[in-house]
Amino acid sequence: MNNTWGDMAQYDPVTWNWIIAVYLFMAGLSAGSILIGIGLRWYSKDKSIESAILKAAAIISPVAISLGLACLVFDLTKPFHFWLILINYNLSSVMSIGVLALLAYSPIGIAYSLIVLRDELPKWKLGFLVPLAHALMPFRKAIEVVLFVLAIGVGAYTGFLISAMNAYPMLNTAVLPALFLVSGLSAGAAANAIGALVMFNTSSHDATLGKMHGLELPVMLSEMMFLFMLFCALYFKGGAAAAALASLTTGVWASVFWIGVVGIGFAIPLLSMLMPAQTRHTKGVMIAVACCSLTGVLALRHFVLYAGQSYIS
Amino acid sequence: MIELDRRTFIKGAGAGGATCALATLLPGSLAALEQQPLKAVGKEVASICEMCSTRCPISARVVDGKNVFISGNKEAKSFGGKVCARGGAGHSLLYDPQRIVNPLRRVGERGEGQWEEITWQQAYQTIAKNLNDIKAKHGAEAVAFSSKSGSLSGHLFHLGKAFGSPNSFTHASTCPGGYVIAAKAMFGTKVKRDLGNSKYIINFGHNLYEGINMSETRGMMKAQMEKNAKLVVFEPRFSVVADKADEWFAIRPGTDLAVALALCHVLIEDKLYDHAFIEQHVVGFEAFAEEVKACTPEWAQGVSDVPAKDIRRIAHEYAAHAPHAVVDFGHRATFTPEEFDMRRALFAANVLIGNIERKGGLYLGKKAKTYNKFAGNKVAPTLGKPGVEGLPKPTAKRIDQVDEQYAMMWSSGGIYQTILDATLEAKPYQLKAWVMSRTNPMQTMTDRARVVESLKKLDFVVCCDVYISETAAYADIILPESTYLERDEEIADKSGKNPAYYVRQRVVETIGQTKPSWQIFKELGEEMGLGQFFPWENMESLQLLQVNRDVTLWNTIKEKGYVSYGKPLMLREPSMVAAFTAHYPEAKATDADGTYASAMSFKTPSGKIELSSDKVEKMAAGRGVIKYRPVQLKQADELYFIQGKVAVHTNGATHNIPMLANLMSDNGVWIHPLTAGKLGISSGDKIRLSSSVGSEEGTALVTPGIRQDTVFAYMGFGSKNKELARATGKGIHCGNLLPHQTAPICGMNIHTTGITLAKI
Amino acid sequence: MSKRYVMIHDENRCIGCQACSVACRSENGTPEGVSRLQVRVEGPFGDAPHLHFKYNRVSCQQCENAPCVTVCPTGAAYVGDDGLVTIKEDKCVGCMYCVAACPYKVRFMNPETKAADKCNFCKDTRLARGELPACVTVCPTDALTFGDANDPQSDVAKLINTKATYQEKTHLGTQPRVYRIPTKRGGIQS
Repeated sequence: MNNTWGDMAQYDPVTWNWIIAVYLFMAGLSAGSILIGIGLRWYSKDKSIESAILKAAAIISPVAISLGLACLVFDLTKPFHFWLILINYNLSSVMSIGVLALLAYSPIGIAYSLIVLRDELPKWKLGFLVPLAHALMPFRKAIEVVLFVLAIGVGAYTGFLISAMNAYPMLNTAVLPALFLVSGLSAGAAANAIGALVMFNTSSHDATLGKMHGLELPVMLSEMMFLFMLFCALYFKGGAAAAALASLTTGVWASVFWIGVVGIGFAIPLLSMLMPAQTRHTKGVMIAVACCSLTGVLALRHFVLYAGQSYIS
Repeated sequence: MIELDRRTFIKGAGAGGATCALATLLPGSLAALEQQPLKAVGKEVASICEMCSTRCPISARVVDGKNVFISGNKEAKSFGGKVCARGGAGHSLLYDPQRIVNPLRRVGERGEGQWEEITWQQAYQTIAKNLNDIKAKHGAEAVAFSSKSGSLSGHLFHLGKAFGSPNSFTHASTCPGGYVIAAKAMFGTKVKRDLGNSKYIINFGHNLYEGINMSETRGMMKAQMEKNAKLVVFEPRFSVVADKADEWFAIRPGTDLAVALALCHVLIEDKLYDHAFIEQHVVGFEAFAEEVKACTPEWAQGVSDVPAKDIRRIAHEYAAHAPHAVVDFGHRATFTPEEFDMRRALFAANVLIGNIERKGGLYLGKKAKTYNKFAGNKVAPTLGKPGVEGLPKPTAKRIDQVDEQYAMMWSSGGIYQTILDATLEAKPYQLKAWVMSRTNPMQTMTDRARVVESLKKLDFVVCCDVYISETAAYADIILPESTYLERDEEIADKSGKNPAYYVRQRVVETIGQTKPSWQIFKELGEEMGLGQFFPWENMESLQLLQVNRDVTLWNTIKEKGYVSYGKPLMLREPSMVAAFTAHYPEAKATDADGTYASAMSFKTPSGKIELSSDKVEKMAAGRGVIKYRPVQLKQADELYFIQGKVAVHTNGATHNIPMLANLMSDNGVWIHPLTAGKLGISSGDKIRLSSSVGSEEGTALVTPGIRQDTVFAYMGFGSKNKELARATGKGIHCGNLLPHQTAPICGMNIHTTGITLAKI
Repeated sequence: MSKRYVMIHDENRCIGCQACSVACRSENGTPEGVSRLQVRVEGPFGDAPHLHFKYNRVSCQQCENAPCVTVCPTGAAYVGDDGLVTIKEDKCVGCMYCVAACPYKVRFMNPETKAADKCNFCKDTRLARGELPACVTVCPTDALTFGDANDPQSDVAKLINTKATYQEKTHLGTQPRVYRIPTKRGGIQS
């Protein structure tokens, strides 16, 4: 039958587009970056030194979350009414809970960054913030713990945000928040490495960098495991859920998955580990591999968001 | 001269006087007018729809000072207070910025799309001068007048008559003329169908669920849903009616006549027909029975692809439900050149079971005069007519009056397409000018190229319309008519089983410089020096004349919009006649069987139903008796090309109305998967359809809902003039593919042809 | 007793004519390009000659358990006292979470108000005036029935009690209040 009922554009199941994918990526990156930074600090012997990784995280994390929130706000149909979302809350809405988490996460993250970067601030003509940083110092431990917990929340939140939509079988799974948190860590580690190498001119043989490097394999393996679990869950659920697996074989998002997520995001970093140590530990290679990881995570967010919305039960 | 709506007129940028090709800034369009709040005449106004030719009673509401919501008028029970998508979208036409609200004069070549705004005075003067010059040089008959039938045609045809031309035409021969002429030959008048009370309905592609006729559509649904009626559909494509049917047969296009005759064959051979009814009310049965002897279901199967055993079974089932069963005689015609006999055969299948004037069968309209006679009482008022004396008697013959076989059509709208022959070939004499009102032959007539050629050849062309239609695009002068929501019109007769009247009334004040057609043609007549033939002052005076100055009646009709009188009456239905006589003590005495059967009369030469007609035999030898004649509708290597109606558009009229254009603007061509597969065509592919007269580019819609040897498209799309910005170039233009061919007796132009298909 | 407005779409009676859709647009002033209501004629399905169309009413299902209300961060999407899922335009920021979360894909961003929009059974317009929703008012074949299902005497209650009906995507726990009477294959039986 011919279409006699008019424009179908509004019924496109893909409601949220790349801007939201970038937001999901940025929030995950921000959380992952600071989680790695703080985590490594807790495992380091000399806690008096601010490692280049932590300093990089202290920059990357607040910048990423700000960019992400900017994406979110400008994707609203009424961006100048974004404040409405800050004064009205619906605690059954994951987004509302996320707003609360971000409201705490962002200022605490900035406070923590001031503490970490207190010696760097004068170099960036931000010396006037040094007294504030010192004033915050006594609360460092508390801030650190709270920020760590909030960062886990924010990292997982981006997954919960889209997994709360039960009409989409690929999104509506329990592993999605975990997957997003872990891939956020992956992105965070990669970004921290780039930050440390580029901004703080760290040696590529730096000990903390090496420790972080050690985390990459387990993080990546858990990421792959969660992805595998996601697809298995869809397969065994059957029906519309199994139909969503078609996203792995058809359409542009299958290419994004196999080339972006698997090829660039997983295969290149994994294969790079087979390189001889001296090549592998050159600055150039490290940055290149880190860029691949970041690309893979960004591709994953796009794949999950678009393919996830494309298959509705 | 009267200038009723003299308003501040602010011209849009670049529009005034200058020429402008952009439709959005079209001179004379509503977009060129300053926006102003509209004044509602009332909160809810009863009126009559004009989005198609069914003209349903409506009730229009003004919301927030502007937007009009339209629903059906609840006073009209059989319409249920309902309205279809087209009717509901009336205000979208009313407020369409692309509507024409100022008279226009062509300044470029015909069809070039160069226009300038002129005043009504200038328009009238130009038209009067041109037409009067042509009359002086070539005679009044050199001017043809044509209009969509209905309230508008009356005023234009009156002007034509006053002018002295016999050549006036409705769109009948391009649309419903076939069944009208067949009914005229058999019953002497139009007949109606009582679908709502039917227990068994046989439908030959009368697509009532897409070509909505509100009371009939509701009737058929009521029969199906509430009376458990069985619906059998013979149609080459899987339409909505086919979907709702109990049985659907994908009949070969143009072979309905064979199946109808086979049904008649079974009814007669198996003695299933109503012998007594035939004896009393029918002439020509023997000749017909003799003719259909050979029309066995087995023979029909070979012609139509409908299995013989099903035809036999259906005939028996149909007869078992007699007389509350009906073979729907259809509406839009022209499946085949044998249109006349096809429609007669469908009527014959009804006559045979004696369902005439029975519930669920066929009946004749009961206007006030007839009804009052039966009631023995003035139950319903009769309407007066404005008599105009001294109208000139045309000396010339009509241009379609070349062949006696079409005689019945001359007074039923004429053979519209003969305008082309008269223009291009001077057959029977040269036509010089064409005055049109709300008709779009460019879409609805066959062979578009020939219509274009004719419009280009004529000395003078006038179009009265609400849009620059595909036809108006070739006019010299365009007269902007008010939409129906801005017009008052005469009280109209809407009698069915009992008398009823309704009236069109304005819902909002007139927009721009538009005028109702009664006013346009009266004022034009005055300018042409024919003022004495327009003695009425305005619509109010005409209406008062109709109600014979009965102001109470006038007010009642205006307030309710629709009034009906008495109880429904079918002359041979005992229960209805009993209720009727109980209600009207002075009613005419019934027959012994408690019916009015003997009082039933037909306006045929014999006064009876003429199953075979001597009159037709005299008009065209060999055609008196209904007969099957093989026809060739396509070449062996071609596919049948058929068209149909969709619920959201009216052929050739609504495709530019915003709300409707937004619902559907393209007509993807239905192709069977196997046919498409052989040509490598998939749904959505660009395809080319080529016929003997034209070629169209369209989009494929591959569907199992069509025969393998047939392609289908909805009618009215693919306009080719740039002024209809929303419709132009979208979909295929059906008229451009149909060759020019006229069916015998009824003069219909045929809408089935052969095409070849290719992927582009 | 509280009201429970429901709508019943009889797919046997529906002919896909779009009268409902046009009436809805007129009554609610829905801008061009977006729709609160569509009736899609889907198919034909099956093997010829046993084909059938599906007449699919696409509009807000007025879920008892509405995902759009759950996900709305500001409470702009809410359930009114009348039980109808409604939108407070001025509270909506346009995050489109509700549009994304609706399993029926019947919410959209109104290009004029920039707020989410959808069918509300003509709550602000016709119901407020004591009339039936626009679609029900005009439906040529009486395919739509509307009313309070909690009133056992209502037409809707009688229909639900006497006809086989189904609702869409009930497995998602939405409990839609648009009921559908399925087409009887191969013809109509009442």
